[in-house]
Amino acid sequence: MRGRRSAIPTAAEEPGRYAVEMRGVHKAFGAVTVLDDVDLAVRRGEFVGLVGPSGAGKSTLLRLVNGMHTVERGSVRTLGTDPATCSRRGLRALRTKVGFAFQQFGLVGRLSAMENVLMGALATLRWPRYGVMSYPRALRVAALENLDRVGMADQRFQRCDTLSGGQQQRVAVARTLMQGPQLILADEPVASLDPASSALVLDILRRISREDDISVLCSLHQVELALANADRIVALRAGRVVLDEAADTLTADRLRTVYGTGDGTDG
Amino acid sequence: MADGGPAPAPPRPRAVLEPGRLRPPVRPASLAVGALPVAGVVLTGVAFWWIGVSVPSLLAGLGDTLALLRRMLPPDLPPAPGLLSAVVETLLIAVAGTGIATLVSLPLAFAASRSHGSARLVRGVARLVIVLTRVVPTLVFAILFVRVFGLGPLAGGLAVAVHSVGMIAKLATDVIDEADPLPAEAVRACGARRWHVAVSTVVPRVLPSLVSIVLYRLDINIRASAVLGLVGAGGIGVALQTALGGLDYDRAAGIIGVIIALILVLEVLSVATRKRVGAAVPDRTTKGHVLPVSAGARHDVGWDRGRILRFAAVAATVVLFVVSVWSLEPAPQRLLDAWPNLRQLLTGMWPPAFSSDIVLGVLESLLMAIAAAVVGSAGGLVLALLTARGIAPWRPLATAARALVVVLRGVPDLVYALLFVAALGLGPFAGLLALWISCTALAAKFFTDSLEELDAVPRQALESVGATRPQVFLGATWPQFVPAFTGNGLFVVDLALRESIVLGIVGAGGIGYLMQESVATLSYDVTSAIVIVIAVVVYGIETIAQAARRQLLGR
Ligand SMILES: Nc1ncnc2c1ncn2[C@@H]1O[C@H](COP(=O)(O)OP(=O)(O)O)[C@@H](O)[C@H]1O
Ligand SMILES: [Mg+2]
Repeated sequence: MRGRRSAIPTAAEEPGRYAVEMRGVHKAFGAVTVLDDVDLAVRRGEFVGLVGPSGAGKSTLLRLVNGMHTVERGSVRTLGTDPATCSRRGLRALRTKVGFAFQQFGLVGRLSAMENVLMGALATLRWPRYGVMSYPRALRVAALENLDRVGMADQRFQRCDTLSGGQQQRVAVARTLMQGPQLILADEPVASLDPASSALVLDILRRISREDDISVLCSLHQVELALANADRIVALRAGRVVLDEAADTLTADRLRTVYGTGDGTDG
Repeated sequence: MADGGPAPAPPRPRAVLEPGRLRPPVRPASLAVGALPVAGVVLTGVAFWWIGVSVPSLLAGLGDTLALLRRMLPPDLPPAPGLLSAVVETLLIAVAGTGIATLVSLPLAFAASRSHGSARLVRGVARLVIVLTRVVPTLVFAILFVRVFGLGPLAGGLAVAVHSVGMIAKLATDVIDEADPLPAEAVRACGARRWHVAVSTVVPRVLPSLVSIVLYRLDINIRASAVLGLVGAGGIGVALQTALGGLDYDRAAGIIGVIIALILVLEVLSVATRKRVGAAVPDRTTKGHVLPVSAGARHDVGWDRGRILRFAAVAATVVLFVVSVWSLEPAPQRLLDAWPNLRQLLTGMWPPAFSSDIVLGVLESLLMAIAAAVVGSAGGLVLALLTARGIAPWRPLATAARALVVVLRGVPDLVYALLFVAALGLGPFAGLLALWISCTALAAKFFTDSLEELDAVPRQALESVGATRPQVFLGATWPQFVPAFTGNGLFVVDLALRESIVLGIVGAGGIGYLMQESVATLSYDVTSAIVIVIAVVVYGIETIAQAARRQLLGR
């Protein structure tokens, strides 16, 4: 298990090869240690599945990557930048290149799919916007293309709270595409979806990752979905990395035994 | 199709680039929602013009008000024994009124409820009583009852009681109607009588919500009791009226300070009690579903500590209620003496004498209320954005704004009106300023609550897109907030209207002055006409506000 350390070269050896690089990361909320000495790397264009029981620290890890949380010890480099040392403006610039998909989608339910997608391009605009028509035409065209890529172009003017969960997550993915991201972080994007929608959403994510050479770090609850979609699997348990392997050499049973099916509160 | 070979899959048509496809369709519903604020702003303009509000007049008013505030310093407290008894009398009026109202409301609510099969006529009468008592403000009843029962807390307690009947019974009816009908049907199927059904299946389930409705009402009634004295109906307001009448502004400031302190203490207590009782307060913003009290299913029947405490609390409540009613001095002789007055009042009321003055007065009240609610909502929104957790930009400023709102809310509207009348003279200008302040505080509280209830994920999503703070606000926070903003704004109009009706009692414009004068000159036919117009207008606004709120917030 300790062998994984050697698998990660330092940034100096091979700059730009990694979209995400975490070394010896330690994170606690008050007295509760959530992440403990975590090493993790995501290569450019790679789809990494992050599995682990709930409470293992998956969300916390993802939030460290785009600077929503900051580490106590260790280092995080996202697309070559340490989010913790960024100014507010620098952090915004970094986040522009990093898409984030939430389990609860993060769409504004009262607004249309189109407007929600357009908001992904806010960082390229100076002023606040309200209403689809307040966005430049070029962005509206781009939004429509991105909606088309996730198969939601026909519902573009439907209110998001009238869409199904799977449709909402597809809209959320289209929103991240508006950023032109180099990296997409997805926090249990399919945890509240039915099996068919889950498969569809992950399929779209993987296809986008391939076509646009976008790195994806996606936390998942279900072992099978992770194995079917990821290039590499990282398993977290109680804040520690307990497995880091290419998906094609891994079987579901072994993955399950390694990270356990407990609730993560043990250990 | 026939010209041979497996045709390549046609490329997906990318016809999505036509300009029309990029423009969202127009929705009538969103136009209507957009029209509401526009109408509000237009009516505010009309009201400002009518009342003569302008930047110079506001600046002059500010100067005069500051001069008055300077004269109020240092505040001077009345002698402790008198002060204490005035405070106690205020509290007892509220307790007695709320208690009496609760006892009357329960059967009334069952009679009015849809789900308990009362006869159509009974239900209609019950509903009418509920509406009439609800839409006429406490102070209007107080003026009438002072005529009937004479000066003192009896008139005040009864006024509080009658108005609260409408309020409590309405909420209780809703709760009863929303309670799951199945258990009731099960018991009815066993052949139980209607009252058995009510007592054994409905009461236990609606009890927690009833408790919180009554506590909530008590809170409001204590605020109301503090100003009843201004029309001679007892409580600490009598001392305030005396001090102001004698131009003793230091003393008035001291009494206002006591009122604020009293209301702040109660605010703290009521928050703590509600937490303890664990029952949800009927929720303004959502559908008012009521959570059951702590779900710990315990089947023991012995006396544990909790049961003893509960029993003690019930016993103390009963004792307190009896003491409070007794403190109103409802001697039989007094009630008998009141009978001729009451008969004179009731017979004098028919036929109502409508006049254009009444319509103009009510219109003025309405305009004052709308204008105050609009400008108050705007100011309240700013305060709420500075205060709400997760949105406020700077913690110390948020704390300061929160404290400001609590203190502003601690002063009853009528006290603001009294002060502005003292500073700026009689008329609707003083009344509008008073309502403006209280609407600002009220709106700030409502808006803060609803902003804090908003889903935080869309906000985080836009932050993670790299949007700026203003972009996050307009993109994620504001669209989510629009229904609550409009709905609560309408609620503020509704509440402001009830206040603006009575502000005239202290000479601050609107219909209240005419109302009080008609009672003073025994022109009860005018009084009844005014009450009818008030009832119609308040009921109309309430209905519109509720329908719009349901439309906006329900779903
Ligand atoms: N903001 C926070 N404050 C305090 N504790 C937190 C916070 N966020 C997460 N935690 C705790 O960190 C642990 C890991 O949480 P999380 O990263 O959400 O796990 P996962 O996403 O794998 O379910 C949990 O025990 C959780 O209670
Ligand atoms: Mg999580």
